[in-house]
Amino acid sequence: MLLIKILGCMLIIGSSTGMGFLFGSEIKKRIEDLKSAKTFAILLSGDIRYAKTALPEALSNVARRHEGRLRPFLKRVAKELDSYSGTSLYEIWKRAVKEELTGTALTAKDKENLLRLGESLGNLDKDTQVVTIEWYIAQVEEDMKAVSADAKEKIKLYRSLGVLAGIFVVVLII
Amino acid sequence: MIRKDELLKIFSIRLRTLLSKTLLDFELLQEIRLRVDAPLLIKYDNVEYFMDMEGVLTQKVADAFIISKAEIKETMEYISNYSLYAFEEEVRQGFITIMGGHRIGIAGKVILEEGKIKSMKYISFINIRLSHQVKGCADVVLPYIFRDEGIYHTLIISPPGCGKTTLLRDVIRQLSNGTGINGKGTYHKGVQVGVVDERSEIAACYMGKPQNELGIRTDVLDCCPKAAGMMLLIRSMSPAVIAVDEIGLGEDIEAIHYAIGCGCKMVATVHGGSIDEVKDKPLLGDLVKKRVFERYIILSNRGRVGKVEEIYDERGTRLYLS
Repeated sequence: MLLIKILGCMLIIGSSTGMGFLFGSEIKKRIEDLKSAKTFAILLSGDIRYAKTALPEALSNVARRHEGRLRPFLKRVAKELDSYSGTSLYEIWKRAVKEELTGTALTAKDKENLLRLGESLGNLDKDTQVVTIEWYIAQVEEDMKAVSADAKEKIKLYRSLGVLAGIFVVVLII
Repeated sequence: MIRKDELLKIFSIRLRTLLSKTLLDFELLQEIRLRVDAPLLIKYDNVEYFMDMEGVLTQKVADAFIISKAEIKETMEYISNYSLYAFEEEVRQGFITIMGGHRIGIAGKVILEEGKIKSMKYISFINIRLSHQVKGCADVVLPYIFRDEGIYHTLIISPPGCGKTTLLRDVIRQLSNGTGINGKGTYHKGVQVGVVDERSEIAACYMGKPQNELGIRTDVLDCCPKAAGMMLLIRSMSPAVIAVDEIGLGEDIEAIHYAIGCGCKMVATVHGGSIDEVKDKPLLGDLVKKRVFERYIILSNRGRVGKVEEIYDERGTRLYLS
């Protein structure tokens, strides 16, 4: 009986510690995804600024050079734009944000910024395009800064909380 | 040969469906005009028609399909490949050339900056002019262009829509490939041709690759201003012949003098109805008066598009009359 109790306690503490580590790793993953978003925006801005490349080709170029978790999203938008499917750019962009970013740790706010970028892409002159992308890069940088500033403490906190929560539950049960 | 599916994808879904229903021969299709809240107009085999809801040509305006603002907006999105910014220069000039070499004329509200056209918004009028490559259409004029050594400096004069670019394209192709190679017609060796295709209409390059056949000895400088392009080609590709479409600016004339001075032969086109009309143009007139061009080919659309009416030499002697 005692052995079962000990095993149960270990399981509770183990799983709550795991949860703590998982939350911690989500922060790391979000930073990686934000970096990835920044890289894609810089590459896209370069293609538009210096080569005036049309969006389907520019996004396809960026997707080829990109190795982050945003790649499926970029590939899908490029492919759909290239197919002249009869759907507006924003609709294609919105659907891809919704369906292709599920594997990332981007938050609702990050996705909202990405949507706002998609809203302004395509129609205006080159300078406005570049300014819009730069605005997006600035937003991403700001978010990265905010997340990174207390990332270490937060990761530590989540991990400790995980362990402590497990111990707390065990104490309550015993 | 026009690729119907390729052309149709620039239209809004409703228009695409309508045009795909039609049984028209796209080789005879010349123009498609879209205007906000106005009927869809088609120029087919030199006659203007409306198109009804079933994709059938009609002369009755009451039956015509009416173009909405949304239709124009959606069509512009596809024409520009979702990237109007990539066509800033073209929009400033009022037209975009798409895959296949078709020219899309646009009009709307012009945005000025320091008195110059910066851009255009609220685009409400679209004119799609279809490009047709007619191989062999230059057969009539080539015997007058060729000389023992090379060719004469040639100017093709034509009102808009009478096939001057089509003729120029075939002249380039035949000069580049050479003629009489298979024992048909007089033998002329192919020459190196440089084309400055400012509006992408001659070669209709798509991602650098010419969509129209311009011959095996032809280099194309795509989307490049004519004057700068001619200089660049002379320096980089040493062409024997330089071909340009729609000359007229002062810098074009200077570049033509430079090219001729470098030993290149010129083949160019200009808007006009006759030599006298060209003579009256302030800058081009000088070229005619100085007898820079040695052959003048006058086109019209009398009977059919691209009809060669007359050919003159530099002294104004008529060499050919249709």
